[in-house]
Amino acid sequence: MPGTTATPDIEIIVEDIGGGRGGLPPPFGGGDDGDGGGDDGNRRRNWSASPKRYSTAIAIGIVAILMFFMALASAFIVLRRGSMVWVTVHLPFVVWPNTGILLASSFTLEAARRRLFLADLRGFQKFWLFTTVLGFLFVGGQLIAWRQLVAQGIYIASNQASSFFYIFTGAHAVHLLGGVCALLYVLVRKFKETTVSRSTAAEVASYYWHFMDGLWIFLLALLYLGK
Amino acid sequence: MANDDSGANHGDTPQDGYLSRHMLSTDHKTIGLNYLWLALFSVFLGMVMSLLMRIHLVWPGMHLPLLSSLGDSPDRFVALTTLHGSLMVFLVLTAAPQAGFGNYFLPLQIGAREMAFPTLNLLAFWATVASLLGLTTTFLIPSHPAITLWIVSVAIFCAASLCNALNFSVTTIDLRAQGMTLPRLPVTVWAWFINAILGMLIFSILLAACVCLLSDRLLDTHFFPVMNFVANQRAGAIANAVAVLWQRLFWFFAQAEVYVAMLPCFGLVTHLISTFSRKPVWKERLVVLALCGVGVFGFCVWGQHMFSSGMNPFSPLVFSLLASSLGLPATILLLSWFGTLWDARVQLNTAMLFALGFISLFLSGGLSGIFLARHDLAAAAVSDDFITGHFHLVMGVAATFAILGALFFWFPKLFGRRLNESLGKIHFWLTFAGVYCVFMPMHWLGLIAHSRVSSVSVLASIAAAGSAIRNFITVAILLTVFAQGLFLINFLWSVFRGEKVAECNPWRATTLEWSVTSPPADDFGATDPVVYRGAYEFSVPDVAEDFVPQHLAPEQVVKARESGE
Repeated sequence: MPGTTATPDIEIIVEDIGGGRGGLPPPFGGGDDGDGGGDDGNRRRNWSASPKRYSTAIAIGIVAILMFFMALASAFIVLRRGSMVWVTVHLPFVVWPNTGILLASSFTLEAARRRLFLADLRGFQKFWLFTTVLGFLFVGGQLIAWRQLVAQGIYIASNQASSFFYIFTGAHAVHLLGGVCALLYVLVRKFKETTVSRSTAAEVASYYWHFMDGLWIFLLALLYLGK
Repeated sequence: MANDDSGANHGDTPQDGYLSRHMLSTDHKTIGLNYLWLALFSVFLGMVMSLLMRIHLVWPGMHLPLLSSLGDSPDRFVALTTLHGSLMVFLVLTAAPQAGFGNYFLPLQIGAREMAFPTLNLLAFWATVASLLGLTTTFLIPSHPAITLWIVSVAIFCAASLCNALNFSVTTIDLRAQGMTLPRLPVTVWAWFINAILGMLIFSILLAACVCLLSDRLLDTHFFPVMNFVANQRAGAIANAVAVLWQRLFWFFAQAEVYVAMLPCFGLVTHLISTFSRKPVWKERLVVLALCGVGVFGFCVWGQHMFSSGMNPFSPLVFSLLASSLGLPATILLLSWFGTLWDARVQLNTAMLFALGFISLFLSGGLSGIFLARHDLAAAAVSDDFITGHFHLVMGVAATFAILGALFFWFPKLFGRRLNESLGKIHFWLTFAGVYCVFMPMHWLGLIAHSRVSSVSVLASIAAAGSAIRNFITVAILLTVFAQGLFLINFLWSVFRGEKVAECNPWRATTLEWSVTSPPADDFGATDPVVYRGAYEFSVPDVAEDFVPQHLAPEQVVKARESGE
């Protein structure tokens, strides 16, 4: 019954977004639309397997996340210029090597995708794992930055500048951890049995990762120039 | 996931529990319907609250449930107003036309079998439920934790709306059936799509503002400093900007939120008017552009609410201009509706009546909006009552009319039964007269509150007129709320006992949702639908019927000449 097999497809793809839980082997491809649509293969979308929606979703999601940070950034700029009680907070030194780590992770990610493109799965997994580790290192580095501030007696409520530092780094770290989860997911998932291909998953994860990278550079520049 | 298997054959197998069939199903139809139930509950709760408020305004001494029984009155009244507003704006006006009807009909209308991310959809629904629970709980607890809880609930609602917006936009972009090109999309789908994009942008901002506010309340930060109002010695725009930072962020969301509530309603009304006028949408391309225009301008008018709060003297002019320029897409929409109605054989059923009622309310509410777009007038001369009257008429009631119209229109598809037409018409006329009696005098109340006279006798007569108007409003609202009982009876009775609709397409409409059974089966055919033409092919010449459905292959269209022979 072709019609009934369509729905499990959806369920499994949903599993994919949710992250690493197992799935049933789905009937991939157009088993359910064999009749009636043979006239135009490209236009006839096997909608349950359309991988395009992941990249569309990540693009739109990136815009939404960008708006979130823009709202925070505009609040930062307004308060920086107008606040009566602004106290300069110097960035802890560890953010600079930390930024280097994040930048490096973007390059290793691209190297991994290059390996995948060349069908070198081992190389892909090696570089991808390396990227994931760098991601964890970055989050750890941000924690160290927090610890350094705390050691100086600067807490989130100390002044507006420190509030922004903690909010910016915290919100970014939460979003970045989402990215790390995506990386881990691509790493451990066996893509033999899913409708979404490894390269699509890697591509979508890489968009998000590069965005997180760029976002951090922006936030860092904002914090540095506006200190 | 536990509901994987049940999700694969939702509802068909009787051994599925109620929970997995209705509450944990990832099926877009179930979720859409759940949103509608949620909105129905919220709208009646919110309405009872407004009733309590009006009664309290004219008979302050009266002992009222909810208002008098829990703590001191001034606090309770403010809480009641806030809760009424939050329920109506978030759970009804934002959720019903977009998440409710959108979830149910967007996939059907574009020929998809599901939303792009069904589990995300389910998650968003439950987040919405959580935010409704949070919002209503705020009323029952002391005010300090209540405000924190309110902010958390709103933040959760933002997250849910963001998930929805993501789902809607991706579904529209990537899951359209073969042949469903962008120009062939029904206007409803356009409206949902544009609305999703707009919601994506503004709910992120409100979420960020909520995060800052929560951090102020829970972590003692000072993102939104209170002391600047008092301690501010530096005159000028920058210092003011700090003082009104929260307002900026909030209104950035809230002004656009008006359009988030209205956009799907524009789509629904355009759809209804075309269908029941048996004519194509007049200047359909222009209507779609106008909807985009509403989205773009609506996103840019956030400063409009702050004319009186002290901003750079130059900026009110800009915002005033932008707010006035919203008149352009609004005028295009109105012209298109009138153009469609022009010389049409209008079928005046309840759905159409509500659509026409929407136009009337939108027009009269929009006219008072022109006053408010002028920054000098809005800042100086208009008090709360004028604004209350304006936005209830144009946003609250008009949008409700669109939702009701859509409900009457889609009810056969939702439940396989009809709503009772005569009861619906009585309900329409009572509500229509009622809301005008409630909200028109409010404009008047707002205007006379600011008449600048010094003579004591004149002031006394104004006060007397004011209290007479207030009494009138309260009586009118009492009657209007009781008229809603008719709707509730009609709705609940029709869900279980209404006249059955056997055919797929009782309104003889063109869009894809009418090509499937009512209510749509989970497995509607082995083949995906194919779309051959635009969404509003009514009164096509040389065709036997006065409409041609989108999915009908050209060779299947019965020609008038052939059938005549």
